Amino acid sequence: MEVKRIYVKKKKGFEVEAKGLLSDIKENLLIKQLENIIILNRYDVTGITEENFKKAKYTIFSEPQVDETYEEMYPFSEKDNIFGVEFLPGQFDQRANSLEECLQIVADGNRPIAKSAKIYILQGNLTKEEVEKIKKYIINPVDSRECNLEKPGNLEQKMEEPEDVAIIEGFTTMTDEDAEKFYKKYGFAMDLADLKFCQAYFRDTEKRDPTMTEMKMIDTYWSDHCRHTTFLTKLEILDIKWDLLKNIYEQYLKGRNMIYENRKAKDICLMDIATIAVKELKKAGYLTNLDESEEINACSFKAEILVDGKPEEYLIMFKNETHNHPTEIEPFGGAATCLGGAIRDPLSGRVYVYQAMRVTGCGDPRKTVAETLPNKLPQRKLTNEAARGYSSYGNQIGLATRTSSRAISSKICCKKIRNWCISRSCTKRKCC
Amino acid sequence: MIKRCNDFGAGGVSVAIGELADGLIIDLDKVPKKYEGLDGTELAISESQERMAVVVAKEDVDKFIELAETENIEATIVAKVVEEPRIKMYWRGKTIVDLSREFLNTNGDVKNAQVKVEKPDEEKSYLKKEEIKDIKTKWEETISDLNCCSQKGLVERFDSTIGANTVFMPFGGKYQLTPTQGMVARIPTLKGYTNTGTIMTFGYNPYIGVWSPFHAAIYAVVESVSKYVAIGGEYKKAYLTLQEYFEKLKDDPVRWGKPFVALLGAYYAQKQLCIGAIGGKDSMSGSYNELDVPPTLVSFCIGDVDTEKVVSNEFKKSGNKIMLLKTKMGQEDVIDFDDLKENYEIIHKLIESGKVLSASTIKNGGIADVITKSSMGNKIGCKLSTKEDLFYPYYGSFVIEVDGDIEEEKLEQIGETIDEEKIIVNEEITFELDNLIKIWEEPLEKVFPTRVKEETKPVENILSDKKCTITRKMPITKPRVFIPIFPGTNCEYDSSKAFEDAGAIVSTKVFKNLKPENIQESIDIFAKEIENAQIIMIPGGFSAGDEPDGSGKFISAVFRNPKLKDLIYKHLHEKDGLMLGICNGFQALVKLGLVPYGEIKEMDETMPTLTFNTIARHMSRMVNTKVVSKLSPWFSSVELGEEFTIPISHGEGRFIISEELKKKLIENGQIATQYVDFEGNASSDILYNPNGSVSAIEGITSPDGRVLGKMGHSERSYREIMKNMPGRQDQKLFESGVNYYRY
Repeated sequence: MEVKRIYVKKKKGFEVEAKGLLSDIKENLLIKQLENIIILNRYDVTGITEENFKKAKYTIFSEPQVDETYEEMYPFSEKDNIFGVEFLPGQFDQRANSLEECLQIVADGNRPIAKSAKIYILQGNLTKEEVEKIKKYIINPVDSRECNLEKPGNLEQKMEEPEDVAIIEGFTTMTDEDAEKFYKKYGFAMDLADLKFCQAYFRDTEKRDPTMTEMKMIDTYWSDHCRHTTFLTKLEILDIKWDLLKNIYEQYLKGRNMIYENRKAKDICLMDIATIAVKELKKAGYLTNLDESEEINACSFKAEILVDGKPEEYLIMFKNETHNHPTEIEPFGGAATCLGGAIRDPLSGRVYVYQAMRVTGCGDPRKTVAETLPNKLPQRKLTNEAARGYSSYGNQIGLATRTSSRAISSKICCKKIRNWCISRSCTKRKCC
Repeated sequence: MIKRCNDFGAGGVSVAIGELADGLIIDLDKVPKKYEGLDGTELAISESQERMAVVVAKEDVDKFIELAETENIEATIVAKVVEEPRIKMYWRGKTIVDLSREFLNTNGDVKNAQVKVEKPDEEKSYLKKEEIKDIKTKWEETISDLNCCSQKGLVERFDSTIGANTVFMPFGGKYQLTPTQGMVARIPTLKGYTNTGTIMTFGYNPYIGVWSPFHAAIYAVVESVSKYVAIGGEYKKAYLTLQEYFEKLKDDPVRWGKPFVALLGAYYAQKQLCIGAIGGKDSMSGSYNELDVPPTLVSFCIGDVDTEKVVSNEFKKSGNKIMLLKTKMGQEDVIDFDDLKENYEIIHKLIESGKVLSASTIKNGGIADVITKSSMGNKIGCKLSTKEDLFYPYYGSFVIEVDGDIEEEKLEQIGETIDEEKIIVNEEITFELDNLIKIWEEPLEKVFPTRVKEETKPVENILSDKKCTITRKMPITKPRVFIPIFPGTNCEYDSSKAFEDAGAIVSTKVFKNLKPENIQESIDIFAKEIENAQIIMIPGGFSAGDEPDGSGKFISAVFRNPKLKDLIYKHLHEKDGLMLGICNGFQALVKLGLVPYGEIKEMDETMPTLTFNTIARHMSRMVNTKVVSKLSPWFSSVELGEEFTIPISHGEGRFIISEELKKKLIENGQIATQYVDFEGNASSDILYNPNGSVSAIEGITSPDGRVLGKMGHSERSYREIMKNMPGRQDQKLFESGVNYYRY
């Protein structure tokens, strides 16, 4: 089917994004020769009639008050440096998705296929290196890539039919040496001891070799993210050279004895230290409003509130969520995902999320790009993109948010860039 | 109906569905895919956001799917719960997973680690006192420190008022400059209202963690609880949740010692205060090559409170006493918890008694930080006379503003609030508040801008003598309001409640678009609703995510449907109907032509529009708006020239109009409201005009005033529940609309 292409450019006085990027690049990449940036939104669409395309041109693709449109061709100048950016296949492209949804209404229900890209026109006498530097600053390879400037013949993404899931032949009979090779090849998150534990299970209990899906699934189940592997590691206390701490550690041991009096004691581990205080306090008669049910994935307490003067029992639920690594490599998506998780988790407890607090940390965002570690995003880009990601998600969902940031000077700590996003949603649900 | 529920996160289907029951049979071919080409393993374990897994009884399945459809949500059966405690997955007819629950639950082989703890170097203590030679320089350094300075440009990007339950704006006072020490929101209720709300605070100082993770944990807890107490919370009713973030621990006993001591610190603090951390989250991956994150434990504190009694931290008026309540330090830089608990009780009692006008707890930045921030909000200065260290982080200590005498011997007066916009320290050093504000705002201005480069220009004050000329045809005691909900709409709850409170009957309907036939169905439903309604209200939100590159396009595409277009025309020209659009709704009205033209028109370049804020980001704050025309029945209950403080929250609120058309609208009285400064003058300064609108225009109407579009969220503030924001917030908008039909 025919592909229609349209370029949309903001009119003079409305090009806030391009202007912002220009001063950002001048200030942070220190590229003085850059005179101007023009940003074009490029849309490719198939499955739409000429008539509907015309209807949509000035209502959906553009607004005549602020945009200029160019069908099929844009008068690019040979002097300028031009490149385009699109999302990687499989990444959610909200712009293209919304375009399809809007066009679907015009087309009485038939949904066309659309793709979007952003074209950057750099004006000024730039060196090849400078252009590359700008590209690198704009394109985050985790979610986007440079796109072809030619119009494609069609927009269908051809996908090969995937192969069957492999069975790991000979897994149960692998020697230790082969097991180690296998372990290294697939980059498991579990350790080698876990892998051997699996080997024994499949050999002795299942009496068969596992599939690749099974191994990956076990690896996911036992990961730190899902099962707090680090927090459940059994600790052996070698030495505490600090009386005050020794004393508190002894209090903890005493608390354990009291809690595990008549049952099997849990291992001494970080998780136990983190949770024992609540158990002790409950036993001593505190925390009386705590809500406990079989199905807990966030913490909650009971509160009797007056609704229009009449008492009603509510549950207040809250939880914190973190997303350090994903946010560091893909700040926009990572931060949005973090908040998404923090909202959906309480939702799964059938509560309504009404406020969130966002606490982030990063290095000094005023540092220039030149001071950024290799293979890392600049702090300024990181912190801004993460804020954009969270606020985009939170503002759209409709979640009142208060945010606060802690900067960590490189003087007293490492220069590692970091970013974590903790959002705590506090929610309520009516007790049934 | 829902028996169990899980959200999808890392681990995808295998975890989200896999955790719902012990015995499961999952058919991966049924799992809806975002794109083709995924193999069985990817389907089973890849992260798939924006989904939930629920367990319902067999007989409820059809009902559940039907209910999901009415909300424009796709629901699919993908798995069956079975007796046998095994998890099985099928893909393309083959079994690709068949594991026993017992094995999965082992969590693998038992792990062991060794721990070694060393005492932190007292000489390097963060809490060691330092000698200050030059108070003026130190003061300025303190408030421009990255961890004290303004983050307004960041905070304003987040919607802080949606839900209409916000009690504290992030920045308090007339000038919106005092950062609050925590969040306070009322508990949302579907019907009716409650004064009960929750306080949420956090505590964290990375600098302490670098020196001693043990102390960092203690002071994180103390900081979070102290903020909660300063706002009015009772510490015994508080709950905590902790966030740990550490370096990769490897096999190093010294590295393992860091989270070990931090958690013991948190344990000790919980036991001393008799409050518990009932939740938490850990992340132990904070290393990159040779670099590690500082040992991090963040404490969050939450509890319920009567929001009528909470106290914000900006100074309220001059001539009040500023008192210090200091908590003692115990051995080895650990706070004296008995003294702390006693002080928590004192502060709580004083706040309950209503004697405290503002309260803060001290943290990094010391008394200087607290005093500066409290002074800025209302630009009320203060005179300090004290020998206390002005910069020491007296954790667990409080600074309160009181009116009159207070009999509490532990309180020590350190100063008083004054009329002048100055901070005067021990009669020696004087800071001009405006100068301090500049120093405080400067450090992050480039990273998170609050100002724009455009110069401010004088703006005309509009004031129209046009009066409302339309009158209702038939009295209706309970007019009907139709509120359409589009993908991305998020103000429908607040808007519905506002109309219901004003006495209307509200009907909401979701526009569905999952299947091709949904579009026509939805149009038919909307048509019926429009025919039945007196008022159509398009609420705020982000329809279709404000995409493609512009807001309101989805909504306007719907209303441009010939059938709906025709009905809207009749609604406004034959049926005595009214229409209102707020924020995203206003954007849609403008893009349809309903304001200012009163009918749906083809778009051309002479039409006004709403486009991206000049600051090129989302803007959430309070603004002052003035009613400059009473042409529209939507303003019948307020006076011409009246001013209101109204929340805004938008990225595209910049109203653009040609000079010629603007003149015509002014003449007709169609410019309804303007953004104004504290003197009531229309302004182009971003402090007052948040988006750079031409002539500071906030709202406009159709020629006869039936249709009103405005940016400010009047539905979020009419109950006037914000405690740190002066000014009137009830514009009586919904009342006016409903009363049009009543009398």
